[in-house]
Amino acid sequence: MNLTHLWRSVFGRLFPRDQAPAEPPLLADGSAEAPADAPAQPLAPGLLRLWIVLGLTLALLVALALVAINQEASRLSQPGARQVLGGALQSLPQAWAVRDGGAHYPVGVPGSLVTLPDEWSRSQPGHKGSVWYRFHFDLASVPRAGEVLGALIDRACSSVEVHLNGVLLFRSGRMSDPFARQCFSTHVVPLTSTLLRERDNMLDVRVAGYPIAQVSSRQRAGGLSSVQVGPLAEVQEAAEIQTFWTLTLSQILGGVLIVMGVFALGLAWVRKLNYLLYFGLLTIGWAVMTGRFWRGDLPVPNDAMEVFIAIMMAPMTAFAVKFLLGYAGTGLRHGSQRVWLERINLVLWAQCLLLPLSLLLLGNAGVFLGARIWFLLFTLELFMAIGYFLWLAARARRVEFWMMSAALGVVAAVLGIELSYQNGLLQSGGLHITHFVMPLLYAAVGVRLIQVYVRALQSAEGARLHLERRVQEISVEIERNFNQIAELRVEQIAERERKRIAGDLHDDLGAKLLTIVHTSDNDRISSLAREALEEMRLSVRGLTGRPMVLSDSLADWRSEVVSRLGQAGIECEWHNPHDVIEEPLSSRTYVQTTRIVREAVSNIIKHSGASHVVITAGVDLENHVFTLAIKDNGKGIPMELDGRLDRGHGMTSMKHRAKQLSGQCLVESGPGFGTVIRLTLPLEIAAMQQVLPGRPAS
Amino acid sequence: MKQILLLEDLPEIRAWLKTLALQVFPGAQISESARIHDALELVNAVRFDVAMIDLGLPDGSGVEVVQALREKQPDVQSVVVTIHDDDDHLFPALQAGAFGYLLKEQPREQLAEQLHRISQGEPPLSPSIARRVIQYFTAQARLKPVQEPDTVTPHVQLTDRENEVLLRVAKGFTLPEIGVQLNLSRHTIADYVKQIYRKLNVSSRAEAALEAQRLGLFRR
Repeated sequence: MNLTHLWRSVFGRLFPRDQAPAEPPLLADGSAEAPADAPAQPLAPGLLRLWIVLGLTLALLVALALVAINQEASRLSQPGARQVLGGALQSLPQAWAVRDGGAHYPVGVPGSLVTLPDEWSRSQPGHKGSVWYRFHFDLASVPRAGEVLGALIDRACSSVEVHLNGVLLFRSGRMSDPFARQCFSTHVVPLTSTLLRERDNMLDVRVAGYPIAQVSSRQRAGGLSSVQVGPLAEVQEAAEIQTFWTLTLSQILGGVLIVMGVFALGLAWVRKLNYLLYFGLLTIGWAVMTGRFWRGDLPVPNDAMEVFIAIMMAPMTAFAVKFLLGYAGTGLRHGSQRVWLERINLVLWAQCLLLPLSLLLLGNAGVFLGARIWFLLFTLELFMAIGYFLWLAARARRVEFWMMSAALGVVAAVLGIELSYQNGLLQSGGLHITHFVMPLLYAAVGVRLIQVYVRALQSAEGARLHLERRVQEISVEIERNFNQIAELRVEQIAERERKRIAGDLHDDLGAKLLTIVHTSDNDRISSLAREALEEMRLSVRGLTGRPMVLSDSLADWRSEVVSRLGQAGIECEWHNPHDVIEEPLSSRTYVQTTRIVREAVSNIIKHSGASHVVITAGVDLENHVFTLAIKDNGKGIPMELDGRLDRGHGMTSMKHRAKQLSGQCLVESGPGFGTVIRLTLPLEIAAMQQVLPGRPAS
Repeated sequence: MKQILLLEDLPEIRAWLKTLALQVFPGAQISESARIHDALELVNAVRFDVAMIDLGLPDGSGVEVVQALREKQPDVQSVVVTIHDDDDHLFPALQAGAFGYLLKEQPREQLAEQLHRISQGEPPLSPSIARRVIQYFTAQARLKPVQEPDTVTPHVQLTDRENEVLLRVAKGFTLPEIGVQLNLSRHTIADYVKQIYRKLNVSSRAEAALEAQRLGLFRR
């Protein structure tokens, strides 16, 4: 818990702005598909230096750890140590060594006493060919329980032959030039019981190998590491273990790397990402180089083999450098960067040509030297590339920075160990931990790349979904807008038509009616024509009128009613509802209500004989209706007069009109009581309301 | 002797209006015309006191004549006589400077009385017209900041009293009622209405002039 907390606080300090990923680097939110799209804010210079320092420290720690592990591992896996562990095998540390190419141990030729492990670069410098080693051992000193004995020969470079008491028991491969390349094999030689003597058995081991000068790597320089004898079962067991660690594991890792490389290549093809291509080639190349797939029985001259192996270094370095540069996102932006990239490309590919040329020039004896120099050069180049990547990653605050710092440490350690080993600064006879670490490194980088890719895929998918949704939303909106516009168009056209009809009506019908009104002698005809004209006007209004607001309608009615009643000498009280009534009223409702109100007022003026009228208007918002009550203090409507009023389209027409509007009109009347007309009409909730603009807030 | 201009295309109606005019203004000299063209000529020739102008004419709208009268003879009481009672037709006429309006189909007595009233300086004002006027002046007030400083635009605004009268008319109160409510005489209320119409006309003309100027069509 505390550790996480501490880690987070450290992270918080290092990522001062909001973009702080709150997780360990390998799992944090990565950058987008092209790692060039790093988070936008670059680091401040001071913070940048802090990052670099931390990164280098991490690298150093990792490197030291690796070196220590390596030392420990190789110490533990020394053949000599085995006897401390198991106690079952007898090691033969000393032998007489004679340089001779004969088929048997040359008796009588003076040799030298050597202690295993024997490196020819020290004991037989420059010797190419065979060296005989004679080991003496007594049966008694060998622990056995009546079993068959066997000999374990570890790292005889390049090929080996074993004689026991003069009899050839074992040959690992071609003993003549070019020697079989079996430096990494562990050989088990069963010792025939019949040949064994009680005392002073002579085990002659003939090793054929190349001098270090003619090989490109110290691992393939001639020498003999260890010889042990013991019960065959034990020997075989030990050999298996050894083989596993040096051969099988490497092959497995090589296989894994090849698969990963192929996958990376596939991805690179699909996504057209250069750096993936180089990564793929790098892993495959590494697997091929170190997978130890070559069993070494090809009859290819040694020089060619060595040079070929050495040549592989150049393209590998090129791939590694280009991968790092591509992953860092160089060359994608600035023009000057492009120029640099061109130059680097040139150098890298030139190296691929220069390396074999130089080796050829140096000739047979200069292979190792040349290889070492080139190796040193490549190491430097790699360090530069990694350093540059770290600098860029730190500047852009990328998550890979930490991983790459660790990787830098690993690579530094590996290369350093290799360098020192090649140059003889390091004794190493056992496991090279570096062989296992590099694949792990590749695996880590590979996983990271896959993670980035998956993330990018997810975000692309998410973006696509989002886009789809947006498109859908927008198309719905467009459709809605289109519908609205279409409706408006229809409205406009209808309006224009209605206006045209209204105009025609006014001009033709209205004019004629007017003429009748003013030129007729008959009053009745005049008033009928007048009423007709008013009706026409109302109808036209119903057709062309905009929807009204209730308050405006009430104002219109009030004005008309009060002035008419006033002219007829009747008092009028009008009560409006208290609330502000901005409810909409369709023009049809307005027109019909106007008719009803006019009818009612006409009745009051003509028939009721009233002197006082009270009109109350009300609104019921819950039921969406408005009410109008017209009360007069006249003599009421006698029952028998109902029939007469029909002729003038009185009550029934009012009721009819109200019903047509989905409302109702109730009449209460009685002698001495007066008449009350209650009108209830629905308010329109019209779809396209056009309330008159600029209304005063009255 | 009053000079009256009568513009109406339907002959029966014209005759009828003539009798109406003579009833209200006994002994007046009435110049009749049936087309705008003729009316405009008459406007140039005769000084009128009252004009009764129909809106729907074969060669255009009577609003033109109203405008001409307002420009050339601003003291004329031009009354628009029309079938249309809706503010869409009446408002432009009022903007152009009409003094009042009459609805043709009303019985003679009523028309006579209204004409008489108008001539006495009491123009009518209906709720819908009042609403339009309020709308107009509100819109004008909003546009005010945009006016250019170098144009001579009279700053037309209704006084508080005028606004009050207008609002009450818009609510449906009749002019006598408003007089009672505000404790003012009929004449005072009528004066307010006249002012309102005048300001409407002035503002409309100024607006039109401004627009014409903007469009570069200013005619001298």
